Amino acid sequence: MSQRVLIVEDQEDNRAILRDLLSSAGYDFIEATNGEEGVALAESERPDLILMDIQLPVMDGYEATRRIKANAALRSIPIIAVTSYALSGDEAKAQDAGCDAYVAKPFSPRQLLAKIREYLLPGA
Amino acid sequence: MTALVSRMQALAVLASVLFGSVWRKAGTVWQRWRDITFNIRRHGARPLAKWRSAESRQTGGLFRKYAAFLVALVGGSLLINALVEMYYSYGESRQALNAVQREKAVGAASVIEQFVREIEGQVGWATGFLPTGSGLEQRRLDFFRLLRQAPAITEVTYIDGDGREQIKTSRLAMDTLASGADLSNEPKFANAKANKRYFSPVYYRKESEPYLTLAIAGAGRNAGVTVAEVNLKFIWDVVSRIKVGTAGVAYVVDERGLLIAHPDIGLVLRKTDLSQQPHVALALKKLRDPSVDVPTISHNHLGREVLTAFAPISTLGWLVFVDLPVSEALQPVYDSLRRTIILLALGLAFAVLAGVWLAQRMVVPIRALAKGAARIGSGDLDHRIEMQSGDEVQILADSFNDMGARLKDSYATLEQKVTDRTRELSQALDQLRALVDVGQTLNSTLELQAVLTAILPHACRLANATSGAIYTFDDATENFSLAATHGMSPEFIATIRQAHINLRDDSPVTQSALRRGVLQWNDLAAESAWPLREALLMADVRALLAVPLLRDERIIGALIVRRAHAGAFEPDIINLMQSFASQSALAIQNARLFQELEDKSRLLEVASQHKSQFLANMSHELRTPLNAILGYSELMQDGLYGELSGKMRGIVERVQANGKHLLNLINDVLDLSKIEAGQLELSIDPYSMKNVVQMVVLATESLAAAKKLRLTSEVSENMPLGQGDERRISQVLLNLVGNAIKFTDSGEVRIVASAANDVFSVAVVDTGPGIAKQEQARLFHEFYQVDSSNTKEKGGTGLGLAIAKRIVELHGGRIWVESELGKGAIFHFEIPFRNQQREEAV
Repeated sequence: MSQRVLIVEDQEDNRAILRDLLSSAGYDFIEATNGEEGVALAESERPDLILMDIQLPVMDGYEATRRIKANAALRSIPIIAVTSYALSGDEAKAQDAGCDAYVAKPFSPRQLLAKIREYLLPGA
Repeated sequence: MTALVSRMQALAVLASVLFGSVWRKAGTVWQRWRDITFNIRRHGARPLAKWRSAESRQTGGLFRKYAAFLVALVGGSLLINALVEMYYSYGESRQALNAVQREKAVGAASVIEQFVREIEGQVGWATGFLPTGSGLEQRRLDFFRLLRQAPAITEVTYIDGDGREQIKTSRLAMDTLASGADLSNEPKFANAKANKRYFSPVYYRKESEPYLTLAIAGAGRNAGVTVAEVNLKFIWDVVSRIKVGTAGVAYVVDERGLLIAHPDIGLVLRKTDLSQQPHVALALKKLRDPSVDVPTISHNHLGREVLTAFAPISTLGWLVFVDLPVSEALQPVYDSLRRTIILLALGLAFAVLAGVWLAQRMVVPIRALAKGAARIGSGDLDHRIEMQSGDEVQILADSFNDMGARLKDSYATLEQKVTDRTRELSQALDQLRALVDVGQTLNSTLELQAVLTAILPHACRLANATSGAIYTFDDATENFSLAATHGMSPEFIATIRQAHINLRDDSPVTQSALRRGVLQWNDLAAESAWPLREALLMADVRALLAVPLLRDERIIGALIVRRAHAGAFEPDIINLMQSFASQSALAIQNARLFQELEDKSRLLEVASQHKSQFLANMSHELRTPLNAILGYSELMQDGLYGELSGKMRGIVERVQANGKHLLNLINDVLDLSKIEAGQLELSIDPYSMKNVVQMVVLATESLAAAKKLRLTSEVSENMPLGQGDERRISQVLLNLVGNAIKFTDSGEVRIVASAANDVFSVAVVDTGPGIAKQEQARLFHEFYQVDSSNTKEKGGTGLGLAIAKRIVELHGGRIWVESELGKGAIFHFEIPFRNQQREEAV
């Protein structure tokens, strides 16, 4: 069984890129388009890793990350923050919220995959 | 004589003592006067008490001075008179007495001489030649006759030429004839034979009667000598008869100075020798030497001082002296002296009395004058000196009174003037203080209400106003509204507010504003009615001053002060109110300007916030599509969507490259906007400059290799760690190295890093075309690019160096370039190891 990544991303194009990237690398994935949905899916599906966009409708990525990390059952799931806020201090904010890693948008798919592979076993 | 001299000396001493004391007194007075005038000159006006005491001393001194002067004057003239009188009367008396004495002496001498000559003549006659034979008897008869004729002759002896006594006829003894006694060796014989005539020294018979032997030789050869014994009692009689005064005596001394005749026969009998008496000795000397001076005053044998005169008896070589005791001789002089002294004493006493009286007469009014002047001087200006002396002193007193009166007048006016000036001064000070106070308020606060509330009470107080108000004018509505009030009842305020004063009514506020000048109503009760007049009268307002608040002739408001009493406002009050009005206008304008400024800055702040927000949003919105472009192109490159043909691969690479360029542009714009908004925050951490250099080399070596450029780095050993934002410092170096590679077509790019004096120095050296001097300064400006034709080819935002400069400066460092066209360029930057300010901020 291949490992499963939860993509929390409101932009369809970005989701498509991530889908293509992850499937090409042999990972399963599930998708959420806002923070609330992301938290719900994390609880229900228990993914192996979460790619968390920060700017999201309904609930932003920081809040969603805090909630997931607040849940003891989900705390071990690594969360990689993906944000286009390239302001200094974003990284710190992401860490404060509980993110395990940080990737700035626009991300290089290659570099993102390398980051994912730091937390997951290689895909099938 | 000595007594006289000593008396004269005593007189002189008395006179000198008298004069001396007067002189000393005068000296003391003069000294005191000099002291006083000197003190006055030196100290100017001296304290009155001191002056008074000095003056009273002065007055006493004046009294003594006058008295002493009069005494000295009268006494001195009397004394001089007496002395002169005495001097002359003494001299004259003495001369007169001496002359009398001399006359008497001469008289006595001539009588005596006469007597001696007579005797001599008679004896000579008896000595005459006798015819031979008539012989001795005849001579004897002659001798008898001689004895009868000359009672003074007591004995006559005839001695023949051989010295034998032939006849001796005596009244007292038996005649002796031809005794033959040899008398040839007797001096009387020898001397008579030799000199024809001989006078023996005086001798005494029975120790009581003086005798003289007279021997005369006869004529012819071997003539005899007649010797007569002459009783000198006659001389004694002569001398005794001479009367000079009461105690004066005449006496005769012989050529040896022996006394031969003196009223006191005892003296003669004792053979008193007077040759030691100076006048006698000198008189004897004078007989031989006429040039000798004989004093007229000497001492007699008793040692008494005598006035003396003498006359010689030339035949005998004797001297007749007439002595008079000086005490008696000068008795008249002494009497005169005594009278003079008495007169002098009387004169002095009179002078003292007259002096005291005169001085009193003179000094008493002067004292009264001085006392009065002192009283006036001490401030009793009402005091008047009572003086009816009818002389200059009264004139002086009148002048003093006049002066007192004038002083009083001028004091009165002076006091009034001082009071006035003091009041004016304190008013001015008060006004100044108020203005300063208001000015300070104006400077310290921009709050309009505070300023107006500070101004109005000052204005009302200084204008003696019971109430006042400041209105502000609204240009739009043309209404005046109450901005501040003072001393107004709520009802009054309400009435004013309801009146809605505006530019169309004719209230004082409006009138003054329209005229752009101060207006005043001196008595509202006398004015014709206008809407607010009743309300003002109700509020106890009788006079009113309206000052418009103007700014460049623009109406800003009005200042009103109101008084409860009728009357005009003083010009200086009006000036002051204008000052307050202009301050109020200034305050209102300041407040309005400040309000505008505040509004505008608030707008600016909002705009700035909007800009930042916009940039953040823009950044995000631009990145999102870029993410897709870059992501897809990368996936395509990686062959995720199937193998790409050679041409397609090239296109995808171009898409990728342009996308990245766009991303850089966006990042740069974002950085710059953050820097400008002061939002760029450094994350200060320890960093290694060596690592920075290595990382930049790694990141750019592919670019350099693509252009066949040599990229080298020289980093000093043992560089310490710095404190700073490593990512931003890397950004700076990356920018410099990127530029160097971009603009250098051949050669090398060298990175040199060193550390000294707590500063990192980094230089990027290239072998590019270099940069013209005039362009170097502008190089670090935003959106500036060297040689636009070239840069189009090279690409770049033109923001890199501007951002690099800001980052370096944020680290407390500096950045600059050294270059010459055609000789490459060296970009330097220095960053302190520790950014103190930043660290503290973090």
